[in-house]
Amino acid sequence: MTTSGQATYFDGVTSARHDVTVTLGASALQILGSDGQMLAEWPYAELESIPLPQGLLRIGRIDNLVLARLDVRDPKLAAAIDDLSVPIDRSGRTERRGRRKVVLWSVAATVSLLLVGIFGVPEIASRLTPLVPYAAEIRLGAAVEAQVRSILDKNRAGARFVCGSGEAEQAGRAAFEKMFARLEQAAGQPIPLRIMVVRSDDANAVTLPGGIIYVFHGLIDKAENADEVAGVIAHELGHVAHRDGTRTVLQQGAMSLLFGLLLGDFVGGGAVIIAARAILQTSYSRGVEASADDYAVDLMKVLGADPRALGTILTRIAGSSHGPLKLLLDHPETKERVNAINARAGTGTITPVLAPAEWADLRRICSEPKG
Amino acid sequence: MTTFDAAVPTAQPSLAARFRLPSGPIQFLGFDKDYWRLWIRGSFLLALTLGIYRFWLTTDTRQFLWSNTEVLGEPLEYTGTARELLIGFLIAVAILIPFYAFIFLLALTQGAIGQLAGVIGFALATILGHYAVFRARRYRLTRTVYRGVRFHQTGSAWLYAIMAVLWWTLVILTLGLAYPIALSRLERFKMRNTWIGNLQGRFEGSAFGLFIRGLFMWLVVIGPLIAALVAFILALDMKLLWELALMADDDAALTRLLQDHPNVAFASAFGIGAITWSMLAGMLLYPVFQAMVLRWWSSGLRFGEMAASSTLRTGEVYFTYLRYIGWSMVFSTIATFVLIAGGAAGGALLWTTGVTQKEWFSDVGSIGAAILGVVIYVAFALGYAAIYQVKVRLGLWRAVANSTGLANPAALETISSVGAPASSVGEGLADALNVGGF
Repeated sequence: MTTSGQATYFDGVTSARHDVTVTLGASALQILGSDGQMLAEWPYAELESIPLPQGLLRIGRIDNLVLARLDVRDPKLAAAIDDLSVPIDRSGRTERRGRRKVVLWSVAATVSLLLVGIFGVPEIASRLTPLVPYAAEIRLGAAVEAQVRSILDKNRAGARFVCGSGEAEQAGRAAFEKMFARLEQAAGQPIPLRIMVVRSDDANAVTLPGGIIYVFHGLIDKAENADEVAGVIAHELGHVAHRDGTRTVLQQGAMSLLFGLLLGDFVGGGAVIIAARAILQTSYSRGVEASADDYAVDLMKVLGADPRALGTILTRIAGSSHGPLKLLLDHPETKERVNAINARAGTGTITPVLAPAEWADLRRICSEPKG
Repeated sequence: MTTFDAAVPTAQPSLAARFRLPSGPIQFLGFDKDYWRLWIRGSFLLALTLGIYRFWLTTDTRQFLWSNTEVLGEPLEYTGTARELLIGFLIAVAILIPFYAFIFLLALTQGAIGQLAGVIGFALATILGHYAVFRARRYRLTRTVYRGVRFHQTGSAWLYAIMAVLWWTLVILTLGLAYPIALSRLERFKMRNTWIGNLQGRFEGSAFGLFIRGLFMWLVVIGPLIAALVAFILALDMKLLWELALMADDDAALTRLLQDHPNVAFASAFGIGAITWSMLAGMLLYPVFQAMVLRWWSSGLRFGEMAASSTLRTGEVYFTYLRYIGWSMVFSTIATFVLIAGGAAGGALLWTTGVTQKEWFSDVGSIGAAILGVVIYVAFALGYAAIYQVKVRLGLWRAVANSTGLANPAALETISSVGAPASSVGEGLADALNVGGF
């Protein structure tokens, strides 16, 4: 076995290059200068190999802030040192084992993160939502409303974006307010509600945190009677009562923390994060919409209005719209929902929420040209 | 050992001669195939671990680039570890969560502050980003070892961040004309604070020289845009424009704008032409620009008596990008073909088994489709990233290393060790803020 050979030594104090002779002792290797003087003695147990391209073994000392280096180019001497020193591992087996552990635990972390995303976050958000003070919710609503407004108001109509201010729209507004007053009284929410009809052609309605409801003009166009509009508003009131807007904000915040910040971004993984969140979001919204439907049916029954009207307008809009833009975006399959609504509606006498003349007025709430 | 010749070890087998590499004082000896292996394996693991593997991949990449770069026959050494990067990232997360929470609360505030929250957040994140870049550089330098001597970096990262924000603002305000002076001042600051042991670096690239060399390109790319902007302003009547801005109906306003300003249509056409021209010229000239800046940069590097010089050829940078585009096209073609074949086979399988008719299919199917979409997106993104790494990053690293000459290299022989390893928080911040460099 080789017991000595030539190598290059850098002492870690200066950049000077020393051509040295290495002698392999019993428990340490000795580094001898060209004049035969011992420059250093390194115990085998304290050696570490530094990854370098093939054909060169570079040795340092473990946890030593002085970066002394021994470069061994002689393959026989390198093999002998590898045999004598336990920490030196030129085959890379230790390194690979460590790597495998990292990958396995990362996958485990990913799985647990997804599980928390699917089951944990909705549960936590649901528990936290009732604890959020209404004052905070109203504030949140104002901030969200500014954003939503700028997205929806494509023509930058400003104040004119809300219907009912024009001369010809006054009667419609009165009818709408009368209808909403009945719904609001029956709902009896602890938060002041703010509802408006806006000039947007989508057959849709949205509820923001803080009791803000936007009814799109397109919805009134599509409706055949006042109870259908009232049914949709009752559904939105369900979201207000369950504080779904606040819960969504809490959920979104938690999800963006989980996926965005903790996992970081790799090669523009932003899209992945958004997609993952969208998937989880749809699975949340199913239960949420179903319970808002239940609330709507109950509320309509209290008013003596037609509890099935919500189902009727849902079916009509789902039939006429195509593509991803379904009614009340995110809402679960219409057929299922309508069946659930009808099952809950039961039988009873029905008095329309508005007289026919009032309904005719309501249809003209956005009659003035926009702009 | 005072001359360059004596410093090259005779024991070293002449890899340079065997593989016809240039025999300058700096040589890059790594092979594409090793880097390919690193990145293909790394891409799979990145996808599998949702990106957590990036700390290991980054460390492997640096280790490969550093240790295959030989200066005067001695390879550079990268002593950083993935564990350090991971810890740095976790610290950065701990710092950034309160920062994000603060911006979020600010956005909920009523009034002007709430309106400006986005702007304030962006400004703070920009400063923090430059701060992180400088501290990340410190981490990398203190993990770089040459001949048993550690590099290090002095200087205040906050000072650098403020300087960088001010200089880059000036660059934007002057439409890029201030780029040479900004780059040279920032590089001077960085290099003045860069040390190999006790050997201080500095930067001597001349801003004016870069300005003169780049002026022609600037005129070709940005000039037409400015001309179009001037034409547009001349074609408009400001008083009438103000009236139109107050009109709520966009369509009507546009009609009137075109009626009252016959020149606007012409100016708009000119503008569209100018933008198209700028984009095309910009793309075609980008490699020339990059070669020019790289040559200027590496020729300006100094360490004590030692001076670098560069003979980087523009054609080499051009071919680097051409190879990248070629490889990307091949990859796109093959991947698309696989996608279509796989899609057809999968669709046929679903259809014949009849699951598409099942009640539950609309739910499961839509979630499955979304997941499949994500998987395909990730596969494409990682594929392009791997090709970019091998063809552009490795290609440019090799081209710059092999084309750099050193005058008075003897300065590297008499350095004494100074400095201790710096923390990896800067790297973590840069990672979390997405401003990471090498």
